[in-house]
Amino acid sequence: MSTSSTSAMAPESQGRIRSDVSTVKGLRRVADNFYVRRVAKALFTVWVVSTIIFFLIRLLPGNPIEQYIARLIETQGMDYENARMQAAALFAIDLDAPLWKQYLDYLLNLLRGNLGVSITSPGTTVTSIIARFLPWTIFSVGIGLILSFTVGILLGLMMAYRREGLLDHILTIFASVVSSIPNYLIGILLVVWLGVQWKVLPIAQMRGTLSPGVTPSFTFAFLYDALFHAFLPIVTYVLTTVGTWMLSMKGSTIGTLGEDFVTVARARGLKDWRITTAYVGRNAALPLFTQLTIAIGFVVGGSFLIETIFQYQGIGYVLSGAIAARDYPVMQGVFLIITMSVIFANLLADFLYGWLDPRIKVG
Amino acid sequence: MTKGKLDWQMDEHQNGKAPLSLQNVHVSYATRRGKVQAVRNVTLDLHAGESLALIGESGSGKTTLGLAIVRLLPETAQISPGVILYRRDGREVDILKLDRNEMREFRWRDCAMVFQAALNAFNPVLKIWAQAWDTAKAHGWHDKEAVRRRLVELLEFVQLDPKRVIDAYPHELSGGMRQRVLLALSLLLNPQVLILDEPTTALDIITQRTIIKLLRKLKEDQGFTMIFISHDLAIAAELADRVATMYAGRIVELGASEDIFYRPRHPYTLGLIRAVPTVTGGFEQLFSIPGSPPDLIDLPSGCKFHPRCAFATDRCKLEEPELEEVGPGHTAACWHWRAVEEELQRNPLHRGVLSVLQAISFNAEEEAVS
Ligand SMILES: Nc1ncnc2c1ncn2[C@@H]1O[C@H](COP(=O)(O)OP(=O)(O)OP(=O)(O)O)[C@@H](O)[C@H]1O
Ligand code: SF4
Ligand SMILES: [Mg+2]
Repeated sequence: MSTSSTSAMAPESQGRIRSDVSTVKGLRRVADNFYVRRVAKALFTVWVVSTIIFFLIRLLPGNPIEQYIARLIETQGMDYENARMQAAALFAIDLDAPLWKQYLDYLLNLLRGNLGVSITSPGTTVTSIIARFLPWTIFSVGIGLILSFTVGILLGLMMAYRREGLLDHILTIFASVVSSIPNYLIGILLVVWLGVQWKVLPIAQMRGTLSPGVTPSFTFAFLYDALFHAFLPIVTYVLTTVGTWMLSMKGSTIGTLGEDFVTVARARGLKDWRITTAYVGRNAALPLFTQLTIAIGFVVGGSFLIETIFQYQGIGYVLSGAIAARDYPVMQGVFLIITMSVIFANLLADFLYGWLDPRIKVG
Repeated sequence: MTKGKLDWQMDEHQNGKAPLSLQNVHVSYATRRGKVQAVRNVTLDLHAGESLALIGESGSGKTTLGLAIVRLLPETAQISPGVILYRRDGREVDILKLDRNEMREFRWRDCAMVFQAALNAFNPVLKIWAQAWDTAKAHGWHDKEAVRRRLVELLEFVQLDPKRVIDAYPHELSGGMRQRVLLALSLLLNPQVLILDEPTTALDIITQRTIIKLLRKLKEDQGFTMIFISHDLAIAAELADRVATMYAGRIVELGASEDIFYRPRHPYTLGLIRAVPTVTGGFEQLFSIPGSPPDLIDLPSGCKFHPRCAFATDRCKLEEPELEEVGPGHTAACWHWRAVEEELQRNPLHRGVLSVLQAISFNAEEEAVS
């Protein structure tokens, strides 16, 4: 817009233009908002992931729909048409429609929470399977991560304060060893040692997510039982991740201790406890929140093996069953839900980080 | 304007005794190569209401001495031997004998130290108010309203808009603003002694001027007791009542500001003054002290300045001079201070140097008046 044309306009139209400009500015402010940006990013990622899953299942050679059709024809003697219809129903997809229409239907189904029906247990929707098993994974992985993050940060802080001391040396060795053992190995070792050799834990009774007869309720007995069954997976998650937190926190704390503001806080005569928590601890833990977002992905992904080892019926257990039985709709749904929960956890960690570090919102 | 508004601590209870006395203070750092003797045999009285400038080249031990007074040296440092006496309201304590909690209470309430390059002086995740409140609480001041009022007054005193600053995070303030906030915060508990380590380094000229003006007000209107560390002689000339020159961890000359700048008696002080670049003078007048500061692990024998000193004789290589009286209230540690005096009569300080130092003081006075 040239300035001459603007100045030639009638006053009222100028006013309208100004208000338009302020709406645009307002929109931009919303778009620049930290939380809005992060939510938009998360939604975008969910869309990208579901699109990738859609095309993977359909376009790759030997795609599961074709395979499923072939299997139906082979094992149940169905003709091609019937087999195709059944496959389409299972995947909640119209196979005759053009690809873009299939894709749109798929997205709309996703929005409605329709993920198709399981092959191995006909009549059960994938959504209901996820709704039944996912909470257990969130429960065990969540507690495991929170525990290991908290314990790791406290130990790391302690190690930095006592660095080069005996405690620091012992804990550093422990952390390095523990964080280099793969998660499934830790799981197996726990079963073998605690359950089979030393018999300190009733491994067989700990299988599953709840003991027979116990139903979800807000009672202490229920919580106790849930924790009893989740105990080994939680211990495994803690053991596999706590070493990394300890070492990161130790390094980060040593760096923070050298910062000017810590010396100034001492010069201001603050009490040691206040300096350790609000000045050193909080700043040292900040960069770890970025790592937390990565860890969530790893642990959820790792739950696949851990839940199988401990026979813990979470989403990872369902996934391994689905893979063994080639139950594609379930696999597709579980993959989707795992990636979505990782994205959601990242979002949560981002928000937490933004809340903890005031500098983030500006950047 | 601000005068009388703040209830500054006046030092009536001292009975003429210095609030801070350093006696024979030594500080060394343990390093892989050996002991770094950063401060040696410093004896010094800081009088009530005076501002004392510590000047000297980089590495001469100025910061180390300041940190020793508030005992914030790193763990590798050791203060011994030495006595640091602090007096307030008729009581006298040896700072080096205070226990952990007594020391904590001493800091900021009795003696506040504003650090060199304090751009990173604030906790990035807490608002300015929270950090001021932390400071007050740590010293048993729990009246939130009063603390807030005091902080507002102090922020106005350092010419900041309290509304903007109080609820800001440190990163939302510029470097100069942060330096002024720290200065305001250092006055929060009305300390008896203020140590300022290079309070204007790393700031632009305008901000430097603002801070110097504020310090001048503190000194002249409020009679604050300050130790002022700087290697900028012009600023020292402007703010200090007395000046101490440090070389290789020792105070080698101590006297009234006038005496030090017009009648220096130590060759090192003379060298520092001659090295002040003049605005009017050309390059030919620029002088610099030859050589470089000594290795503090392996100090030269005798007078530590002898390898660089134009006045040095054989005696200087063997015996280290102690501070001796060279005029009223003026001491210097040099065997040949009379030779320096004669040299100054033969070869007076270049008018350019003195005029720079004078011009600065003059300008500052004008600004203070207006
Ligand atoms: N933590 C430390 N460990 C070992 N040596 C140190 C340490 N801190 C300072 N020193 C040494 O002590 C001497 C005095 O340092 P100090 O920081 O007190 O000098 P300064 O006069 O303040 O210098 P500047 O003007 O550069 O700030 C220097 O030689 C320095 O190398
Ligand atoms: S004692 Fe000797 S070497 Fe030392 S400053 Fe004086 S003249 Fe120079
Ligand atoms: Mg220094």
